[in-house]
Amino acid sequence: MRIGGVIRRAVLIVLGAIWLVPVYLLLVNAFRPGADYTGDHVWTPSATFGLFDNFAKAWDNADLGPSIGSTVLYSVVSPAVGVVVGALAAYAIVVLRLRHGFAWFLAVYGGTIFPTQMLLIPLFLGYSDTNLYDNRFGMVLIYTTISVPLAAFVMRNFFTGVAYEVFEAARIDGASVFTAFWRIYLPLSVPALAAVFILDFTFVWNDLMFGLTLSQDQSVRPIQTALSALNSAYAGTSVPTVLAAGLIVSLPTVALFLATQRLFARGLTLGQY
Amino acid sequence: MTAVTDRSAPPGTSTTPGGAGRRIAARFAPYGFVAPGVLLTAVLLYLPFLYTLYIGFTNYDGLHPSQFVGVDNFVQFAKDPALLTSVRNTLLWVVGATVVPVVLGLLVAVLSHGLRHATWYRIPFLLPYALSGAGLAVIWGFILQHGGAANQVLTALHIPGGDTSFLQHGPANTIAMIIAITWQQLGVNALLFMVGLQSIPVSPLEAARLDGANAWQLFRNVTWPLLRPLTTVVVGLSLVASLKTFDIVWVTTQGGPGRSSETLAVTMYRDAFVTGDYGQGAAVAVALTVVTGLVSFVYLKRQLRTVT
Amino acid sequence: MRRFRAVVAVLGAAVLLGLTACGGGASEHKTTLKLYNDKGAWKPYFQQLNATSKKQIGLTNQPVGYTDEPTYQSFIKASFRTKNKPDLFTWQVGSQLQDIATTGQVADTTDIWNQGVKSGDLSNDVKKYYTVDGKQYCVPLNVSYWVMFYNKKVFAEAGVKEPTSWADLMADAQKLKAHGVTPFYQTNILFSFVWFQQLLLGTDPQLYEDLSTGKAKYTDPGVVKVMQQWKGMIDKGYMSDAGDKTDPGALLKSGKVAMVPDGTWFNTTMSQLKMKPGSDYGTFVIPNVNPSLSTTSMAFESGPLCSLTKAPDPQASLKYLKWWVGKDAQTTWSNSRNDVSANPKVTSTDPNLTTLTKKANSSSTKLYLRYFEAAPPPVLTAALDGFGAFLANPGTYLKQLQNIQQAADQYWSQHK
Repeated sequence: MRIGGVIRRAVLIVLGAIWLVPVYLLLVNAFRPGADYTGDHVWTPSATFGLFDNFAKAWDNADLGPSIGSTVLYSVVSPAVGVVVGALAAYAIVVLRLRHGFAWFLAVYGGTIFPTQMLLIPLFLGYSDTNLYDNRFGMVLIYTTISVPLAAFVMRNFFTGVAYEVFEAARIDGASVFTAFWRIYLPLSVPALAAVFILDFTFVWNDLMFGLTLSQDQSVRPIQTALSALNSAYAGTSVPTVLAAGLIVSLPTVALFLATQRLFARGLTLGQY
Repeated sequence: MTAVTDRSAPPGTSTTPGGAGRRIAARFAPYGFVAPGVLLTAVLLYLPFLYTLYIGFTNYDGLHPSQFVGVDNFVQFAKDPALLTSVRNTLLWVVGATVVPVVLGLLVAVLSHGLRHATWYRIPFLLPYALSGAGLAVIWGFILQHGGAANQVLTALHIPGGDTSFLQHGPANTIAMIIAITWQQLGVNALLFMVGLQSIPVSPLEAARLDGANAWQLFRNVTWPLLRPLTTVVVGLSLVASLKTFDIVWVTTQGGPGRSSETLAVTMYRDAFVTGDYGQGAAVAVALTVVTGLVSFVYLKRQLRTVT
Repeated sequence: MRRFRAVVAVLGAAVLLGLTACGGGASEHKTTLKLYNDKGAWKPYFQQLNATSKKQIGLTNQPVGYTDEPTYQSFIKASFRTKNKPDLFTWQVGSQLQDIATTGQVADTTDIWNQGVKSGDLSNDVKKYYTVDGKQYCVPLNVSYWVMFYNKKVFAEAGVKEPTSWADLMADAQKLKAHGVTPFYQTNILFSFVWFQQLLLGTDPQLYEDLSTGKAKYTDPGVVKVMQQWKGMIDKGYMSDAGDKTDPGALLKSGKVAMVPDGTWFNTTMSQLKMKPGSDYGTFVIPNVNPSLSTTSMAFESGPLCSLTKAPDPQASLKYLKWWVGKDAQTTWSNSRNDVSANPKVTSTDPNLTTLTKKANSSSTKLYLRYFEAAPPPVLTAALDGFGAFLANPGTYLKQLQNIQQAADQYWSQHK
């Protein structure tokens, strides 16, 4: 087992090092003063530290401030609600053994098969008709919906691994079907819920297209819409500025990854139940 | 809606054990639980797609009143000279962006599972996922463009390929972008596999170990079968995502040069938004959706039926 | 439990909201106009105008930026059908303007143009690009001339000067190449049309115009010759690697390439990179390929700023457009970006640009609409694909032209 452990570590370190190469390029060039960037020597770090200047420039040009509050709201509330809604559906299908469960599951999961780009215009038309356009609630709604199929899929398959006796025992103890869900199944699936939340959080945090199409006010629009202003031929923004902005805007997601790693660190074994 | 939630709510609040009300509630509760998810997807995803489906049979240009044109758009799509390239590239994406990130994601999850400081070993793989689309495009632009970082490294190491233009010719440009997506997606897959590994009970592993199974046998005979529910999730998600590949291609090559890296989703976007033939784009969207739906259905039916 | 109830309540409300459509709002008096634009990066420049406009007409703009042009245009078109119409929006001249003008939804600006031309705030040369069926729509958001930007230091080191003829330019290129510098920038994404446009305009401007109107074919000998010439320049090593995604500004600054053909809006990029006009970089009018032409052909770009007849407050929008073309607005607007103004009365703070504007408006220069706007969208899309493929395999130029012509045939068979 010791030798096995060494090999495992070695493989992970080598693969991890390869994975960090593009990250290195990102950092080196985001730290480079904007005006020094020439496209040559992208591998060599610059002697001057330009990250904060680059970011200040991005902040000024793109005016990221007003959109931060909304973006946090969307990327926390929507995945949270979406995960619960998805888990509820999965619970009904797997644990409560809903009739035609597979069909119901397909109905929810089927939401992922449509090409997103073609949903934008009809959604805009519908949102306009219902006053959801340029409305924080409307944004939460679409982001929640986008989060549901993934949650339903993961939770459905996660629940199949939980012994049915868990449910029966809870019912015998007098728990209602909802209590069994809320008090037993949800706590049991924290790692799965967290994984889905992280993935959806990242999706919402990095979303550009729904934000652009369904909102216009800078206090409603998510942050990527402001950030994208830096990235066009007419912008004249230097590459380090774009990278620095991208880097700093990614920090909350990285922080979330790090903060939740503990949940995946140990084998929380369902066999214990 | 309200009626359904009323039925689902009482069991938790009801203090009377047993009783007819409770039995009825328990019978309808599953529908109440599945309803929010179904309603949300139906209203915000299915409904807009129905609109697209309708547009696919018209000559709508996004502006002027449209006429019904039957299957003209679909015929036009079938005659598109770039269709073959587009289908080939999409197939490459499906194979490449499913197999490679899934296998590597599994590798990372399994190797790091149970290691001390496993968190630290995984971080490099999770970082790329945090990066937004624009950041990804710029970084891989550096690496893949002619004379870029990849060419420089190959030249320095005297490996053939120092002068290859990774993005200039098909299908090499598609493969290059699959590598970029692998870099970003591996962490997601690893994360989901980690969840799967945690749900594996310790006892079968211990039993197999006591029987003298080696690491490979443990994985092959115990871990892998028990990991299957999450493997289905990872593969299922990758299949759908790769069939719909759009963002990375659009920001890196816009499907070019000369449509050589176009995928079906790019063809759709090009028809609907770039040339302004919205009906034509909608037809491609319908075709793409049918394919994605069929592939998902067949895969899930096989996988899920045997699991439950 | 309470939390669950809350979730359900929220979802229920959502569905209800989804079912109850509210009636459209009546027109209102607005003081802040939402300015939808596909130039998200210009937000600070739009906002700079607010102090003056507030004082002079009591209106301010609030930019709503987009960057992906196809999505932006579809969005604007879709908004015509909704009650969420923009107060002001940027657009594209050429067939795109024609498209939206013929719906009858775009506000007529004929009065603004008539008064503007009379008072000298607008020029008659630009008017035709804003005219559909005898009426004017929208006003110029921006105007740019397509010229050559060059790195002064690189020119000095290689011992070359601003060319005055095509032969000069080619001799310069030869010297620069010998000096180890790539003479010209080109790219295979989006702006792949630039050299095609330049070479064709400099050789046979009539053919350029005929191509845009479907009177000539991409397979005509004159067009083939232009492609051969472009290929010749690539073969001689005069052109940069079209697959290089490095920003052209960075390439010019580092001296990797000596010259970049671009719109005068490229000045904004130069200033972001801290390059100074006159000392670090210069500009010149690109000479004609064919020296026997009587006027120098120059590509010209202009983007409209439009309003709708059913805008939330149509009066306010038109008032803003009228103010927009005036000298005060235009001076701030063009000088902050260091670009040309559509208002001939505006003088640039950059002497280079003043000289350029003078040349562009002299009788020795003739302006032609940029290819990007001149070609109808389906033809343009096919052409950009064709040029991209040509740049990857220059030997395939004939095949690419045939492909473009195929798209053109299809388009013109339906739009004559």
